Amino acid sequence: MERPRIASQGDLVRFLDQNEGIDPARLVPLPYPYEDWVDEPIKEITEDQRTRIEVGPDGVCGAQIPVPQSEEEKERLVASFLEGLRKLLTKENNWTFLQPLLLSMENCVKCQTCAEACPIYTGSGHMEMYRPTFRAEVLRKIVDRYIKPGGKLFPKLRGNDIELDWETLVKLAELSYRCTLCRRCAQQCPVGVDNGLLTREIRKLFSQELGIAMPELHQVGTVKQLTVGSSTGLNPAGLMDIMEFAEEDITDKTGLEIKIPFDVEGAEYLVLHNAGEFLSWPENLQAFAIILEAAGISWTLSSELVGYDSVNYGLFYDDIQYSRIALKHYEIAKKLGVKKIMMGECGHAHKATMAVADRLIPDSLRVRAESCLVALEDLVTSDRLRLDPSRNDFPVTLHDPCNITRSMGIIQPQRNILAKIAPRFREMEPHGVDNFCCGGGSGFAVCQSLNFPDWRTRVSGRVKFKQILEAFADSIEPETHKYVCAPCSNCKGQMRDLLTYYDAWERCGIMYGGLVELIVNAMADIPEGFLEWEFH
Amino acid sequence: MPTFTHGEVSIEVDEDGFMQEPEGWNEVVAHALASTEGVDDLTDEHWKVVNYLREYYLQFGVAPMIRKLCKETGFNLKRIYELFPSGPAKGACKVAGLPKPTGCV
Repeated sequence: MERPRIASQGDLVRFLDQNEGIDPARLVPLPYPYEDWVDEPIKEITEDQRTRIEVGPDGVCGAQIPVPQSEEEKERLVASFLEGLRKLLTKENNWTFLQPLLLSMENCVKCQTCAEACPIYTGSGHMEMYRPTFRAEVLRKIVDRYIKPGGKLFPKLRGNDIELDWETLVKLAELSYRCTLCRRCAQQCPVGVDNGLLTREIRKLFSQELGIAMPELHQVGTVKQLTVGSSTGLNPAGLMDIMEFAEEDITDKTGLEIKIPFDVEGAEYLVLHNAGEFLSWPENLQAFAIILEAAGISWTLSSELVGYDSVNYGLFYDDIQYSRIALKHYEIAKKLGVKKIMMGECGHAHKATMAVADRLIPDSLRVRAESCLVALEDLVTSDRLRLDPSRNDFPVTLHDPCNITRSMGIIQPQRNILAKIAPRFREMEPHGVDNFCCGGGSGFAVCQSLNFPDWRTRVSGRVKFKQILEAFADSIEPETHKYVCAPCSNCKGQMRDLLTYYDAWERCGIMYGGLVELIVNAMADIPEGFLEWEFH
Repeated sequence: MPTFTHGEVSIEVDEDGFMQEPEGWNEVVAHALASTEGVDDLTDEHWKVVNYLREYYLQFGVAPMIRKLCKETGFNLKRIYELFPSGPAKGACKVAGLPKPTGCV
């Protein structure tokens, strides 16, 4: 049966009034050996939970909005939303993103080219509320009716018969957390409308004006990072404990005695890692240390609060929190007097620190920031490391993190590296700037609450998992170990959850990890077996 | 905030059943939380994991790396999954009274 489609402007409003659950039978089908795969249904939010938390129109909980305690509170929140919307549309209050926001608000010709570009819309089996233009259209109607002069006259005739009440706001807020901000839609749009940016601006409005944001990004994200030092909760003492353990681990595995440097003034590079690496993928930080030492590079980590965690979740939802963290990163680099900042394998930190901050940071704080992929390319292709690619004699494919590739155009360095170290490398299709998001983008991979992880594995990550299976179709049997190289902590978290849900390590022998681990695994001067092939 | 009640235990938890105030944890609470994780009996092996997680958390504010947990307890990851079917982060940490892990972990 076809899903009902929005045929006219009025339909959109009616559609917003209906809730549509996710039907596992409609999800995009998977190839061999998953033709008969039966998805477990997405966990339902209980009646008890619904007394505390608002639920999205698809039955999923992402923003985790507290249920207002009274009608007055609802009215107050609606009024705050309108006030925030007015601000969002003025230069004084939104000098950062007003221009692209207005261009996107005004120029959409509703051609729907973006729809088929979206892995969530297609992966879900074409659920209307996930169409990239859907939430944008809701916002346009609200602006037309409630902000523009005369908008309240003849709303039905103008197709603006949308009622701005608390229920509508809940739907809009939740739907702004059903898009990974991968911006594949913007890339495909013939007129350059950016529905990803528009979604991000909706999140910003809710966060800055109503205090509504996914708690994993805000309360235990940026707020925790700015107070404790890291969104993981890691304090400086814990950091040192981890580094001591990492040094021992490096010695156990390689025989090398490496002292991980901290707070070295005037070093060539301040390396900014996502602190998630320290806790969940310590082999990544170890591999970085091994490579930089082997190449004789002067580098340092920072032990200062925020300086040892490159994440900046503000990029995903809030300009103010974003700026606080970006400033802190640059202040720390400036104080240390390092020549350059090297961004580790974290996609959004690349964009937050290199691309966005570069346009906002005052000159007095400016420090050159460089992608690790570019720096590593120099080391690998200039033969400063002795490499034996036969050590990586297994199928490897590359996942392109959206922020590094589509948003920043860093495409070739990682491929030039793989050409030197992975003889059985194959591309996913499509790849590079046309890649598909892992499904955990815009911080989704860090949300482990309620039924959101179910949605991430079944819906937003579905197309990516399909792509991975297709890339390895020639050797899908579990006896052949295969490696999805994902040079981004957030993407790795999503890969882990995807491969676990689909049981792909047991069924297909598919493992995931970063890029530096593959480089070290191919280093001829290191004992064989840096990659341990233990799923974690 | 939901309240989790089991026998005489009554504690505030988050929507996924993790303790909100880790300082209120004790062995009776651990047994109660274990019941939500399909662990009916806490053996010496369970306690080894739980106590290590607990001590580490109180000292450093986070759960230890899984690799370190394995090394210090002598259990491989497979064994930890056998002890706590939801795994080290979602299972063992919950029983040890740690809050839900945060950040890109």
